[in-house]
Amino acid sequence: MAEACQIARKQDLPPPGGYKPIPYKRIPARQYFSGYAMFAGYIGMTIGGLYLYNINYKQVKKDQIEMRSAKMAIYPMLLAERDREYLKQLRRNRDAEAELMRDVPGWEVGTYYGERVYNLVPPDALVEPIFHEYYAHSDPVEWYKRAYIKFFS
Amino acid sequence: MSISPFLRSPFTDVTGGMISHQLLGRCQLEEARYMECLEAYGLERGKVKCSHLFGDFHECQTLTKQFKRFIAMRNERDKQIAEGKLKGDNKYLSPRVDSF
Repeated sequence: MAEACQIARKQDLPPPGGYKPIPYKRIPARQYFSGYAMFAGYIGMTIGGLYLYNINYKQVKKDQIEMRSAKMAIYPMLLAERDREYLKQLRRNRDAEAELMRDVPGWEVGTYYGERVYNLVPPDALVEPIFHEYYAHSDPVEWYKRAYIKFFS
Repeated sequence: MSISPFLRSPFTDVTGGMISHQLLGRCQLEEARYMECLEAYGLERGKVKCSHLFGDFHECQTLTKQFKRFIAMRNERDKQIAEGKLKGDNKYLSPRVDSF
């Protein structure tokens, strides 16, 4: 009976030579650097980085010193130019005031309807104007520009 | 106006006013003159005798006359512009923005 049933059937048999052994042991991760190597690498890279940073820091300091020196060098000249322009503008303001208030009764240039602003200084002493007086004859747009510079920058 | 307490003690000094123009303010000279005059004459007589000094000190502190001058000049200029006496480039005289 066994020989009569011998037809070639596909059977799920083990591979020829048997199964390979089942791996059960741990496979730890591959270690590229040891602990000492990591510390050494860290310290080495830090030293290298600090060296490069130091070079840059010295250059930045030199640039700052140069810029500061340049600003200090030209500051008096800029201040003098501003003062010159200020005094010239005071003269122009006085002339504009004389021209504007020519027909107003009782007005004298530099006073408020004849009353001097400060009574105890000599009549030809310079009374420095306030912002409004300095800009009294100007376009309001110019006030706002100056006020913008003062308040927002 | 009262400038200092009637009886001075450490308790009144605790909340004393410590701000004055003497610390390099604009009105250092005027305030000094007025206060010295008040110190010489006292408060009651000083108010009458030092009123000329007070005028300058008040003007320096509040700048009212200078501001009133500005208002008067501005009104006059606006009036003249509205009348048409000033036109075009003559309407305004503007200073350079970095000169003040």
